[in-house]
Amino acid sequence: MSVVPLPARRAAGRRPAARRTGGRHVAPYAFAAPFVVLFLVFLVAPIVLALWQSMFRQRAAGGLGFGGTRQREFAGLGNYVTALTDTGFTSGFARVLLYGAVQVPVMLVLALVLALLFDSAAVRFGRFFQAAVFVPYAVPGVIAALLWGFLYQPGVSPIVGGLTSLGVDVDLLAPGTVLWSLANIALWSNTGINVVILYAALQSVPAEVGEAARVDGASEVRVALSIKLPMILPALLLTTLSSIIGTLQLFSEPNVLRTITSNITSDYTPNMAIYTTSTEAQDPHLAAAMAVLLGVSTLVLSLVVLRISNRRNGALA
Amino acid sequence: MMWTTRTSPAAPRAGRAAALLCTVGLLAACGGGGGDAAAGGGDDPIQFWGWVPGLEEQVAQWNTENPDTPVEFHRMTGDDGKKVEAAVDAGAGPDIVQLSTHDLPDYVINDRVQPITEFVADTEDLYTPSSWQSVTLAGEVYGVPQGSGPTAMMYRADVFEKHGIAVPTTWDEYEQAAAALHAADPNVYIAGFSPSEIGQWTQDVSQAGGTYFGIEGDAWSVQVDSPESRRVAERWQRLLDAGLVKTTQMWTPEYWASVNAGEIATITYAAWFPVQLQENVADQAGLWRVAPQPTYDGTSVAGDSGGAADVVLAGADDLEGAAEFLTWINSDPEQVEHLISVGGIFPTALVGFESEALAEEMPYFGGQRIYDVFRQAAEVVPPTWTDGPANGQVDADITDGFGAVATGSSTFAQVLAEADAAATDRLTDMGLDVVDPS
Repeated sequence: MSVVPLPARRAAGRRPAARRTGGRHVAPYAFAAPFVVLFLVFLVAPIVLALWQSMFRQRAAGGLGFGGTRQREFAGLGNYVTALTDTGFTSGFARVLLYGAVQVPVMLVLALVLALLFDSAAVRFGRFFQAAVFVPYAVPGVIAALLWGFLYQPGVSPIVGGLTSLGVDVDLLAPGTVLWSLANIALWSNTGINVVILYAALQSVPAEVGEAARVDGASEVRVALSIKLPMILPALLLTTLSSIIGTLQLFSEPNVLRTITSNITSDYTPNMAIYTTSTEAQDPHLAAAMAVLLGVSTLVLSLVVLRISNRRNGALA
Repeated sequence: MMWTTRTSPAAPRAGRAAALLCTVGLLAACGGGGGDAAAGGGDDPIQFWGWVPGLEEQVAQWNTENPDTPVEFHRMTGDDGKKVEAAVDAGAGPDIVQLSTHDLPDYVINDRVQPITEFVADTEDLYTPSSWQSVTLAGEVYGVPQGSGPTAMMYRADVFEKHGIAVPTTWDEYEQAAAALHAADPNVYIAGFSPSEIGQWTQDVSQAGGTYFGIEGDAWSVQVDSPESRRVAERWQRLLDAGLVKTTQMWTPEYWASVNAGEIATITYAAWFPVQLQENVADQAGLWRVAPQPTYDGTSVAGDSGGAADVVLAGADDLEGAAEFLTWINSDPEQVEHLISVGGIFPTALVGFESEALAEEMPYFGGQRIYDVFRQAAEVVPPTWTDGPANGQVDADITDGFGAVATGSSTFAQVLAEADAAATDRLTDMGLDVVDPS
């Protein structure tokens, strides 16, 4: 997403005009200031602070630790070593990656199919269905998890009850299934927003391109796959990236479901491990190192996806 | 813990924001009149955060009677306890906070609390020895005890009667009754096993004379895995392996559905549980009774699932005023009566044992004076339990492990061994001296 050259050129052309009225120099900075200040205070500063914190640790000078004997000392990469050798923390990564490898493709394919359907002439009551698909996104994640929690619990769930009366014995909260029950919540919550993004992208596909294809005898499916899909790839990339980031950050839903099942541990996902480390283990320095590792992995994964898609885009062009 | 929505309190946040603006110097008129809260006296009010129902009225009464030492109350919900820790570490936060006594060692080690020994030392005789013990660390008193959790066994009298099974008084009888009940009616279990309800674990260990930690001279001894806790572990393992306990997560709709369906014959828990039972299982009024927690050899001994205390935090200025307020609210006969009848706490102040609310005959329990049982329990809790650093992580390790035990992929004994080793490593990493007797 490089957008530099065009505005630079235009700005160069205007420079003499700006010189005449000196005040104009200030305007861009004034407009950018709110963003820059918030960006620095709420993004850059916390990252710097986390990096700094992660390289220290608190140590008492022996004994019981009472009476303020705790000292902050430099730990170098010690916290990172501790985090990476903590099997609870690392298996949380494996878990969310497995979850993401299934949940993200399923959700995006579903969102893409729905967006293409809404865009085609085939759908009646399109506006109603678009709203219906989007509504779950407006439900806060915690509430969504509470709602689904009721539907998963044996004893109170109509779903489990119904299946049991049909002779199907299911446990939606068992160690092997609870991850997919979580994925289902995310699917329900987030498909809508992805449909909206993809549908908006489809609106910008010029109608005449599709018409030309149809005149040449292309079917509606062919138009969707060979014309619309390639043209909305950037939007698809955007939704993929944000979904992957959301996957790695998984916290609220498992945290809520944890109150109804013991098959979600306190370090089930990386973010939960960070929270537990800072609150229960009372170790903000180790938690900072874990948070940095989570941030770096998110960045790396995002770059990998960008790289792959760039290569594919290049091949298409 | 429960399925309640968590709301953020707007008022204190606004107050803090205003304070922040003052320090930054953006408001010219700061420092003068302060807020409406300070209108009563010259000093800033003492900020008190707590969760016991009815504290608002007690604080209001205090403010009427003591206009020179105003107190401002904030009701804690959700993760407010974690917020307090972060705030105090950042040099802010309230002056007094209600706290689980399990968390006190961390507060002391992290310098989040101030000793109030000189102001409250002469009030020691007003409280039960075990509760005073729970606010005293290395000779300093850090708070005033507010409630405790002595345990007893609630049971379905009708179910035992129907099947002609005697109510167990020892753990051996308990296991036999478990088998007999389940054989008589396969839908009935002696108890629920709730892997993440840590209080039900610690109360049993406490009854067995065990603890998580101990203090030996100038070192922590880690006793998560001990002969006492293993004894409890073996009993639970036998019951679980034989399918005599029903695994359900306490406080969930599923759990209450199970109790309401009559699947659970006994619930062993702390003195604050009967009110919960009454509320959530209203249809079984008159069917429940309370008996002492079964014992190992018939000698009267009970567990305690942990208590609460009010502690004075690092940022407090008026230690004397805070201590005076805390002594009043937790030991004045009228206030203790209020804490029991409105707040639903089990008293730590001895005067509370004479309370009318505790002597009440409860229709839900067939007219039984159930708090007699809990009061006797409070007197026979072994004085062994000691909380230690990162207590919460020990809880988390154990409940995480018990989740695996419930599905058969681990054992109680294995979980204890692992949690014990992890605690030993953690304390060593913290730079503390550790002895591990296990």
